Amino acid sequence: MSRYAVNSLLYRLKKDEAYRARFVENAAAALADVDLTDAERAAFVARDMRRINELGGYLHLVMSIPGLAAH
Amino acid sequence: MGRIVFAGAMSHVLDPDYYERACGALGRQTVVAVMAEIARMGERLSARRPDALIVVADDHLNAFSFNCVPAMCVRIGRSVQRMAQDHAEAFDKVLDHMPTEYPLHEELANSILEQGVAAGFDLALSWEAPVDHAFLSPVNTLHGPRPIPPLVPIFVNAFVAPQPTARRCFAFGQHIARVVARSPWSVGIVATGGLSHFPELSLPRVGETDTVFDRKLIHWMEAGEHGPLQDLTADELHKSGSHEFLNWMVLLGAVTPARAEVRYFGELPRINMAAVEWSLS
Repeated sequence: MSRYAVNSLLYRLKKDEAYRARFVENAAAALADVDLTDAERAAFVARDMRRINELGGYLHLVMSIPGLAAH
Repeated sequence: MGRIVFAGAMSHVLDPDYYERACGALGRQTVVAVMAEIARMGERLSARRPDALIVVADDHLNAFSFNCVPAMCVRIGRSVQRMAQDHAEAFDKVLDHMPTEYPLHEELANSILEQGVAAGFDLALSWEAPVDHAFLSPVNTLHGPRPIPPLVPIFVNAFVAPQPTARRCFAFGQHIARVVARSPWSVGIVATGGLSHFPELSLPRVGETDTVFDRKLIHWMEAGEHGPLQDLTADELHKSGSHEFLNWMVLLGAVTPARAEVRYFGELPRINMAAVEWSLS
């Protein structure tokens, strides 16, 4: 588990609108070059914010990514 | 000789629509009630004509991300910008209608920073960090249509472990009081956040609060008993969801031994809403 990898990806999804659009279009492709464990990658592909939070994703990020946020 | 002319602390998501979505009609009703109290606090603040308003709050991984998370950071410069977020959701959305730029009190901010470093506080500084709802929701609710005095935003890392200790935040507040006392200015100070919400920063626990813990904090603040508050541990704040009380600890150091007067305390499933003011002699 890499707290940095998970959270820097969450931050990019929040702040980089173009990257977020690529992720929404094809999550697996958008994550291809991101250094994640298999569990982290699966959670992002499934857009499972609860699991991402369990894997170290900061709560305020998982709750505020436009279009993907858990509420 | 300068003095602190107003001190208040309050919850910082002040938006009826947000709480109606989160907690239904009771959410709207509760936040409308706390906002009314905060507006009345703001009238008292404005009546004292402060030259500057210090705002102690936390960043929600908006201004500071993963290049640096400062324990405490003084925002210096001439102005500060509202955080920009496309298609903002949840607590980010409360910023949408607010002004985008706010003047800073450059001299007071520099004094807190420079004298702080000289006194042994290894403070971070920023000319560029924007401010999010934690700063601007209270500031705008306090002032309504009235002019907002020049701000001194101070960031405290409330979320990314390891956070500064409650005791260190209190000591930094005492430093702020010394700086103000040596200055020529009348200064207001506001701390924001809390009270209990999001225990352990765990998504499944969103919707829980720890009211017993919050009532303990309030008792100590009302009694002016600041010793036990300085003993609060990171683990206690994390488990209770009172992470943001670190901001309040800075204010408490600045006004100690003043006693708090609770203007509002209301429980919601998602958060305990509070507005507190200190009697300053």
